[in-house]
Parts: sequence; C-alpha cells; structure tokens
Amino acid sequence: MKTGKFPLLYPTASLAGLLFVLGAMWYAASSQNSPAVYLLLFGLTAVFLVSIPHTLLNLADVTIAPESAKPAFAGQEVSLPVEIMNCSRATRRGIQLVVPGRGGQRKHVDYIPAGKAARVTLRFPAKQRGEHRIGTLRLTSIYPLGFVRVLKKFGSSQTYLVYPKPSGDPRLPVQRARSPHNRPQTELGEGDDFAGVRAYVPGESQRHIDWRAVARGQPLMTKQFAAEAEGSVHLDFSALRFHGAEERLSQLALWVIEAERVRRPYSLRLPNTEIAPAVGEAHFHRCLRALSLFPGEDGA
Amino acid sequence: MSNSRNSRRIEQWRDTTIPRRPLLWLAAALLFTLPALLGTVASWVPFLFLFALVLKFWMEPRGYRLRSTSLKLILTALTLGAIFLSYDTLKGIEPAVSLLVVLVSLKILEAHTAREFQVMVMMAWVLCLCGFLLSQDLAIAFCLFVAFALLIAALVQFHRPATAGSPGAFWLPLATTLKLVAQAAPVAVLLFLLFPRINTGFQFRIGDPHAARTGFSDRLSPGGIVALANSTDIAFRAEFPDRRTGPVGPMYWRGLVMWHCEGMEWRAPYAPAPISDSSNGYPASDKAVRQRITIAPHGARWMFALDRPFGIPSGARLARGNYLYSVQPIRKTRRYEALSSTDPTREELGAHERREALQLPASISPAVRELAASFAGHDSEPRATVNSALQFFRTQGFRYSLSPGEYNKNDLEEFLFRRRTGFCEHYAASFATLMRLAGIPARVVLGYLGGEYNDLGGFFLVRQSDTHAWCEVWIPENGWTRIDPTAVVAPGRASLDLSSFLASRVASGEMATGRSAFLTRLARLALVNQIRFVWEALNYQWDTRVLGFDADVQDVLLTSLGLTNSGPFPLVMQVLIVIAALLIIYAGWMQLRTRPRADRVQALYERFCQKLARIGVQRDPCEGPSDFAKRAAQSFPNASEYVRHITETYIALRYAPGPAAISLDKFVKKINAFTAHR
Repeated sequence: MKTGKFPLLYPTASLAGLLFVLGAMWYAASSQNSPAVYLLLFGLTAVFLVSIPHTLLNLADVTIAPESAKPAFAGQEVSLPVEIMNCSRATRRGIQLVVPGRGGQRKHVDYIPAGKAARVTLRFPAKQRGEHRIGTLRLTSIYPLGFVRVLKKFGSSQTYLVYPKPSGDPRLPVQRARSPHNRPQTELGEGDDFAGVRAYVPGESQRHIDWRAVARGQPLMTKQFAAEAEGSVHLDFSALRFHGAEERLSQLALWVIEAERVRRPYSLRLPNTEIAPAVGEAHFHRCLRALSLFPGEDGA
Repeated sequence: MSNSRNSRRIEQWRDTTIPRRPLLWLAAALLFTLPALLGTVASWVPFLFLFALVLKFWMEPRGYRLRSTSLKLILTALTLGAIFLSYDTLKGIEPAVSLLVVLVSLKILEAHTAREFQVMVMMAWVLCLCGFLLSQDLAIAFCLFVAFALLIAALVQFHRPATAGSPGAFWLPLATTLKLVAQAAPVAVLLFLLFPRINTGFQFRIGDPHAARTGFSDRLSPGGIVALANSTDIAFRAEFPDRRTGPVGPMYWRGLVMWHCEGMEWRAPYAPAPISDSSNGYPASDKAVRQRITIAPHGARWMFALDRPFGIPSGARLARGNYLYSVQPIRKTRRYEALSSTDPTREELGAHERREALQLPASISPAVRELAASFAGHDSEPRATVNSALQFFRTQGFRYSLSPGEYNKNDLEEFLFRRRTGFCEHYAASFATLMRLAGIPARVVLGYLGGEYNDLGGFFLVRQSDTHAWCEVWIPENGWTRIDPTAVVAPGRASLDLSSFLASRVASGEMATGRSAFLTRLARLALVNQIRFVWEALNYQWDTRVLGFDADVQDVLLTSLGLTNSGPFPLVMQVLIVIAALLIIYAGWMQLRTRPRADRVQALYERFCQKLARIGVQRDPCEGPSDFAKRAAQSFPNASEYVRHITETYIALRYAPGPAAISLDKFVKKINAFTAHR
C-alpha cells in the first residue's frame, strides 16, 4: 500500500491554456525578433517552472488520519471524518481531499497552519450493504498557480459499515406459535412499568440510567421497565416469504427500526446467528450489523 | 462511465462561481494592460471594456450574467460590425487587438466558472503580449509587467478561495506572487540570455506606429521641421565610449544629404548611392570620435552619426554625401557603433558631382538671382561669397521663429525680402540655393543638432525636437565645409539643444507662449529634472540592455562565452539542465525550511530502545517508558540502575514542566555510553 511518501505530479487542464499562450508568445517573439516579447515569454515560463516546486511541496509533511465512520443505511450518505495534519513548519494552502471512485465530492481546505490539523467530513453515498474498506484517500493541491496538480495517495485499511436498506411492510409481524421454551412472560426491556435495575452496559442509551443511584455514589445502573403486554417480536430470516435474501434483509432492517421506535423488545434470527430479544441502542446496532454482514449471493 | 465522469466534471466546474477577490485582481491586471493598447484600439473599445468591468462587479453579487447564446452572438456580431466600421477592414493588427479587447469584455460579462476564469487570465496574458508588440516604451512595459504580476496574484488568490476571516487574505497572494517572481527572475534572465532565438521564418507585419512620428523625411520643405519643435519623442541616444562627455563644440548629427534644389524645397535622392569607405582615408585615430548609438525605430532607413562618419557599422552603407543609411528599414531599436571625423574632407569634387551640386530650378525670380550675384560680385573667392551671404542674413533683420508662417516652395523671394522670419529649414534651404546661384557647389544636410546629456547614464539624448538642417558648401582648399546659417541668425541655437535654447529665450522674455512656457518653467525645476534624468537613464538601460538584446547580440554573447559551436540543441539541453538544478535547489531549500523539526529527545530515546531491542528486550508500542524500564531492569539486573536512570532523565526532559534539570548533552553522552549485555 502506498504510504503517501511520494507525491505524484500531473498536468491540469489549464496547463493546455498556458502552453497555448506560451506558443503564441513564442511565435510572436520569433517572427518579430522582439526581445521584449521574448522577455515576457521567458518570464511567464520561469514563473510556471518555479510554481512546480511550490505545488509539489505544498503537500510535503501533510498526512491524513481517517477517523471511524458512523454506519449508514444503504441509499444514505456515509460521512467519514478525516483529519488532515500539517506536520511541517509552514502553512499549507489550497488542499483538496478526494475519495476516488465513490462519486464523493472533493473537500477543499483553505489553509492549515503549521503544526495544526484540519478536520473535514467526507460524504459519499452508501450503495451496498456490508463492510467496506475506505480504500485509498487522495490529497491533491494545485496551489499556487493551478498549472500542475500534486497528488498523494494514502492507503487505509479502515472499514465502515453499511446497513441494508430498510424497506417492505412497516407493520411488525404478529406473534405466532411460540416455541415451547419461550413461554409468555414479562420481558424485561423498555416498557412502561418500572421493573427493576441492572448493571449498565456501555453503549446503552443513557436515558434509562438511574441517575439518583449514581448521585448516591452507586455504580451506573440501568432502569428496566416491563415491556408491553404484546411481548417481544421475533424477527426470523427463514420465516419470511420473500425469495431474495436482500429483500428479506431489507424487511428485517425495517422491522428492527420499527421495533426500536416503539420500544418493543425484539430478537433476531438469521441462518448463522441468533440474537436474544432486547431493546436499546447497543442491541439495535448489533442486529443491524448482523444483517449488514449477512453473506449475500454476491458475497458482500 | 466516461459520460458520467464528464458530467461530474462539468458539475464540478459549475458549482464554483468566481469569488470577488480574484476577480478584483484580474480587473486590476486588465486595467494595467489598457495603456499599452490605448493608441491602437478603436476609441470606443476602452469604454466598452471599462463598462464591462464595472457591470461585472454590479452583476456578480446579484447572480446575473450573460446567459443567452443568441444575445452573445448578437453582441459579438454588433461589436464586430463596429470594429469594421472603425477601421474599414478586419485585417491587420489594430482591428485584431480591438477584437481581442472586445472579446475579453464580453467574456467578462459571461464568465462565471472556474474554467472561464482561467480563460480570462490567459486572454489577459495575450493582451500583455499584444501590448508588447505595439509599444516597447519603458512606461508601457512597466504597466504590462505590473499586469503580469497581478495576473499571477489573481491565480494565487483563485486557487485559495479565502474565507472571509482567514488571515492575510489580501496580502498573502501579493507576498506569494513576489516570492514566485523573485525566484523566477534568475530563470527568466537565464532563458533570456541563453535560450536560442530560433527564427521561425513566418513574418507578420505590424503597422509601425513609429514611422509616422518621426519628423525626418527625405524632403526638406518649409514648415517640415517646425512641426517637430515640440515633439519630445526620442530620436536616438549616443554614448561616447572613449570620452565621458562628448566632443567639444556643437554636435551636428548627420542624417542625410540633399542634392536636389527646388528653391525653398530640397530633396534627397530616392535611392542613396552607396560609396566605398576607403576612398576617404582614415583620419588619425586621435581625431576620430567613436560613438555608440541606440536608435529608436522609425520605419525608414536613415541612421545618424556625428559630422562625417567613416567607420561603417554592419548592416549599413555609406551614401554619397557621407551619410549612413541602413540596408533594412529600422523597425526596432537598434544599436550600432560609428566612427566620425570632425575634420573637413579633402576629397576631390568630380565633374558629375559638381554639376549636381550646382543644379537649380528654373523658377528662381530675377530679384533673388540679383542678390546672389551681388554676393559673388565683390570677389570671386568662395569664402568671401559665403561670408557676405552670411552677413546678409545677420544684418538684414532676419528672425528665428517657431511660427514663421506658411511658405511655398517658390517663396524664396517672399522669405528673403519681405517676411524674413524662418526656422532652420528656411535658412538652410535659402542659403544653399543662394550659394548655388552664386556659383558655389552647395547641399543641404538634414540631421540633429545637440542633445541633452544624462549624467546618470552617461549618454546624450537626442529628441525629435532637435531636428536641424544646415548647409555644406564646396570650398576648394577645404572640401565640403559646414555652414549653418541658423547659427548666424540665432547664435545660441547651435550650442544648445532646442528646448534649452527656447527656455533661455523665455527666461529673457523674448518669447512666452502659454503651455510651452509652463512646461519649460517646469523643466527648469531641479527636482523635476533629477527625476527626468533617472527616468531617462532607466529608459536607456531598458532600450540597450533589453530591447537591444536581439538574436544578433545574443550570438555575440554566446560566441564570447564559447557556447555557439555546439549548436542550438545541446545549448537548449544545457540551459534546461541548469534550470532544473535551480528548481531542485529551490525545492530543497523550501523543504529544508519547512520540514518538521525532529524531536531530539524522542530520537535519542528511540535509539536507546533500539539498543535494548538488539539484546532482546523489545518495547511494545503501547508500553509506557516506566513500564518498559521495569521490564528491561528485570531482564538485565546488572544494568537496571542505568536503565532506570536513563528513563527518568528521558521523562524529565520530555514531560517535566519548566527547564530541565539535566542538559541534553549529558543525556546524549549517557545514551551513547549505554552498552548492555546479558
């Protein structure tokens, strides 16, 4: 993987314009044998030549560090915060950050003072569910004159998750015959009635932390409420009547969202995984992650 | 795929509008190109240009621009028609430049994307080019170089769309531009001096604006030179390399010799007849005056030299009458060296020449013939005849005037007997005619008289207003002898240049005419004069060092450097290699200056860790120095004290607030001294 050590240099479109102007000047100078026009020609050539090292060095000692991207649903946008660090002792200007090949736009950074960093958020459409590599990020710059473009590639092994696109019937499935061991009982989750406390799990919503207990100096506890009478929802991949796996996953994703919204405990069952019923942010992401990583036909 | 890529690229161009600041820089640059074009473009074009600029600044914040294609086409057609009406043609440089300016104006109204901004910058550079083709005056060149720099500033500003609050939003592009220009200067000079000037062979003519300005012509008619008396255009500059201040006595710069007399009007031969130089014989070298002359382009073939030139510069010929002329018309600034002798010639006058020098028109009136006969009547000695003619001019109330009224070519009688008011051309023409009538071979010489000495540049500046006409008569024992009848009428004129002469007369109350009186009074202020001298010296350097450095001079330079024998291609390669080296030096220097300063303490500690790693204790990337030190001490009990000490020093140097208790040098010594073995 390229480490961004060696910047590459490319001509830009405006270089063609410059060459045309230089050609015109050269023609005029040589046909008139005019020293003044030669001076103009060589002056412009010299400024162009001198701008090349300026452009080239504009990315010297500039590195990037992508942060972790929040998961997004397919069809939405992934936003990837990236830190551009200027380790040099000079201000770097006119830097662009580009993610190639994903239709993502360029992010322009006006200037980064010496020894400082700039934070930009790259946004690009999340097309397909699954885990994706960030791949190669590029820093480019055409500052100061715009006749050449310097490019530095930064390979990254970091990944981001794209959840399946939620679609299908928004109504949660009706409880059907339950398995014998799964007898009707009051599920602990996020119902309306207070049912006790349990230890807080990092990642859970902070809304249900028993702050009074915290104030008394006790450890973080999460209040638990009795779920609604309907009980938990069982979301089963194999019970769905769709043909395509992607459609099933989309439907399951929608149900996960719905169940989370109405705060009904839900369990998820996929051919290779099973997640016990619960509710809450951590559980929500766990389910969606499982859906996202489900091996599809295309091996995503 | 390529289609979507294209559309994306277009999208990308579209969403960038031109910010206000780069546009300001560009507008300033365009304004600076304007002076160079003023004389050439049609009179309405600059107004259109300025209008477009103002309109753009009104339109840009409101999001207006010229969108409709049909409107653009109509406007283009309209302006094209207007240019055609102004010039009656679309061919030639003037309509072309007008068209370019008009197109730039329309482009200003239309432009709104990044690409179009680039196009406008390119067009502005082409305008600079046109400016240099049209005029190479230093003031104009200065404006154009300012425009050149402003264009660079516009580009710098454009590629760094400054947000409102960012520091140095205004000065930074200027500073960057200055840095770029300063670094580019050596490269440009190198290219200018050494890059081969390959002549493409395609020529295109540019209507020479200088040709109409010079007062010189091969015809001396009454009122011809007077018209130039107020022209401050430069004719040429002369240096005397052997002596600092030039020859003693008045400087008569010979331009051309007129043989054909028509009374008050004289004419030079249509084609100068070349003569060989050797027949004259070189005068003793101490009598010869070497001059280095930088001549301003005038579109004709005459060249100037003091008194009687005999050393012929390359590309020039010596014509009958001992004056220089160029083989090619002088269309650009040219520099040459001439040798002159101030002694009268001692050549023989051939029969053919004598006949020519006595030719007279038939229309001379009897009164004039009688006057001429009266000069010759007293004595047959030519010298006496000349003197009595001069005496006539001196005593008969002749006046020297800038406004002598109009004369016809047959008005000799009117001038000699009635008005008796004239300028140098009237005196020269009438005197020479009278001499011929008296039987003395005579001719009229047209050239310049005097020149202003520039102390800074060490040269004489000769202006068009110094144009002068005088006579030469054949006196057997002397040869051709210069007689200046004007000097008799206005004795001060010969020793001064015209403007000083006139100024002295204004001072003495002899003449005072509104504007010129004000100007001459201004010219006498010391400070103004000082500034003028500096400016003229600069001008001279520009003309000789830059404008004079053409392909021929470059050849001389290359030969003297010993670079010509290898041919143009190796030379190009050598120049390119030197430039590449220069660029690498720049890059290295800039890199060195901005490279992050390595943390010395950290580097030393890492070396210490490496030493430990070599003997088997590897530090984990996430292991703190103290933890690592404990682990290392366990592995080497014998060196444990040392390891702990180094680690403590490291922590103190790197993390402790305030000045460290131990110096860095001691730390270095300790790290170097550390050798661990199991």
